[in-house]
Amino acid sequence: MAHDRKFRFAVQTGGATSAREWVEKARKMEALGYSTLYMPDHFIDTPFAPMVGVAMAAEATDTLRVGTLVLGNDYKHPAVVAKEFATIDVLSDGRVEAGLGAGWMKSDYDALGFEYDSPGTRIERLGEALAILKGAWGDGPFSLDGQQYTVRDYDGIPKPAQKPHPPILVGGGGPRLLRLAGREADIVGINPNLRAGEISRDAVHDSVAGMTKQKIEWVREGAGDRFDDLELQIRYFMASITDDRRALAEALAPGFGLEPDVALESGMALVGTVDECCDQLARRRAEWGASYVVVGDDQYEAFAPVVARLAGT
Amino acid sequence: MASGREFRFGIMCSHAASATDFREKARQAEALGYSTLFVPDHFVDHPLAPMPAMAAAAAVTDTLRVGSLVLGNDYKHPVVLAREAATLDLLSDGRLELGLGAGWMTADYEKAGLDLDRAGVRIDRLEESVKIVKGLMGDEPYTFHGAHYTVTDLDGEPKPVQQPHPPFIIGGGAPKILGLAAREAAIVGVNANLRGGVAISDDAARSMTGPATDQKMAWLREAAGARFDDLEIQSFVGFTTFTDDRRQLAEMMAGSFGVTPEEALETPVVLAGTLEEMIDDLYARRERWGMSYVVVGVDVIEQFAPAVAKLAGT
Repeated sequence: MAHDRKFRFAVQTGGATSAREWVEKARKMEALGYSTLYMPDHFIDTPFAPMVGVAMAAEATDTLRVGTLVLGNDYKHPAVVAKEFATIDVLSDGRVEAGLGAGWMKSDYDALGFEYDSPGTRIERLGEALAILKGAWGDGPFSLDGQQYTVRDYDGIPKPAQKPHPPILVGGGGPRLLRLAGREADIVGINPNLRAGEISRDAVHDSVAGMTKQKIEWVREGAGDRFDDLELQIRYFMASITDDRRALAEALAPGFGLEPDVALESGMALVGTVDECCDQLARRRAEWGASYVVVGDDQYEAFAPVVARLAGT
Repeated sequence: MASGREFRFGIMCSHAASATDFREKARQAEALGYSTLFVPDHFVDHPLAPMPAMAAAAAVTDTLRVGSLVLGNDYKHPVVLAREAATLDLLSDGRLELGLGAGWMTADYEKAGLDLDRAGVRIDRLEESVKIVKGLMGDEPYTFHGAHYTVTDLDGEPKPVQQPHPPFIIGGGAPKILGLAAREAAIVGVNANLRGGVAISDDAARSMTGPATDQKMAWLREAAGARFDDLEIQSFVGFTTFTDDRRQLAEMMAGSFGVTPEEALETPVVLAGTLEEMIDDLYARRERWGMSYVVVGVDVIEQFAPAVAKLAGT
């Protein structure tokens, strides 16, 4: 069962202001017991390019896993992505988690001068990209004559250190994407639906507890028999260690247009004392199967006691 | 004069047996006095992806520069490229040399299913990319409306440590690409003409004889005008063979590439002979063509090191 999985924790970080700060940050995450450093992939308001930052973080650490949360599939050709992840996996002795998404942030597409295609097209492209990643990482040449990509007799190099390939993380919030993730990924991120192209009220409302359960059902539909092999992940955008969770909820909830109680139970919120947060995570693992917990880099130090208590249990 | 430049040396490293092996190669290059570790960019035969490999090499060294030789422009959008290059420059404390080429290897395009446009189109696209990467590394939000790319009011992040931008390496073997290099690059690779789409062919070899190289330098000089003296001229020596009998080797190579033995020894893509003969050749090539920045393969990193020790910085 997915919910029998042990807890592990990750930090999503966009970068740092210097090389030294970046190295120190990665080492600190490792020392605090975090499993993984993840980098997002955006062209606005995110300091570093993920592939370079991730490669550097891996070199600066010994056991910390590194990955992307998540690469926007449309920004790079999957043959390039496959090669870059495989290189980092080899150079890190197998510590990569390859996170991909369909792309959603409109401002990224504007920055690149790319068409912002319909979600269906973007998801179709992501599905083909995942096939290319797996094909490139597998033994021998492969071909894909897809709607979106054509790859001919490509024997990807290098082959990754992890076999058959690094864990693939796919995150999303809508039914098509989550079914694809259930079918193809090893780790599934249960996210707000970002169909609006930006973080909006719509996304927050889409994270309420009932919707989170619904999303996990979509993953299950896609996964079938492999559902129990999946690791379910939640990135807590509203995460805070506080003695007064109620007060924080009352302060924040109206901005999102939610009742405080609803906000606290949503799939974006992890708020309370260390004990309360640990209890909440235990309940969510029991109820949703979500064992892989991600916080932002403004919160990872505060959440260290939670990590110390739960990681590996 | 470009030929007045001091020698420096690079290592081309496209593969590693393991993570440990790669780290050792990078540290060894630094310890032996090489200036730069270069990584190529292909989907076949060259396993390491350049951006992560350069990042890893920079992470395990202190002064070694890292470079791409060269990135295929068509494999990544320039906005993506600019962001990765600036991140790498920042995280290496300013040690990136950004080699960028128009793309030429037919196999890369076939495998990945990319359209291999004619050379003129690829070079036009490269020129736009170079402008975009430089623009995004500048202080102001950047707008570019080209035939191939559109960037609107984008303030590139992060900004590189090297200002205004890391040195660009642009290489090639024909007038149009050398003209672009003359205008935009800090380092110019004088290379074979690879219009055949493969690295090794009689056509490519013929394009790198001594007189053909004279011709390339003339194109470059004419296009660069007053800028010529600011350029660092780079040569990638793809064939480095230590031997006491270079005449015999030259005859073998001559047969394989359709050139005379004299031409085989004269071409800047070959270094053959004893260490002393190689050093003499390097002096002669710097004198004749201004080639002061010499890149050899990682397979000769140790054997070639005495030449680096003698020449680097002189």
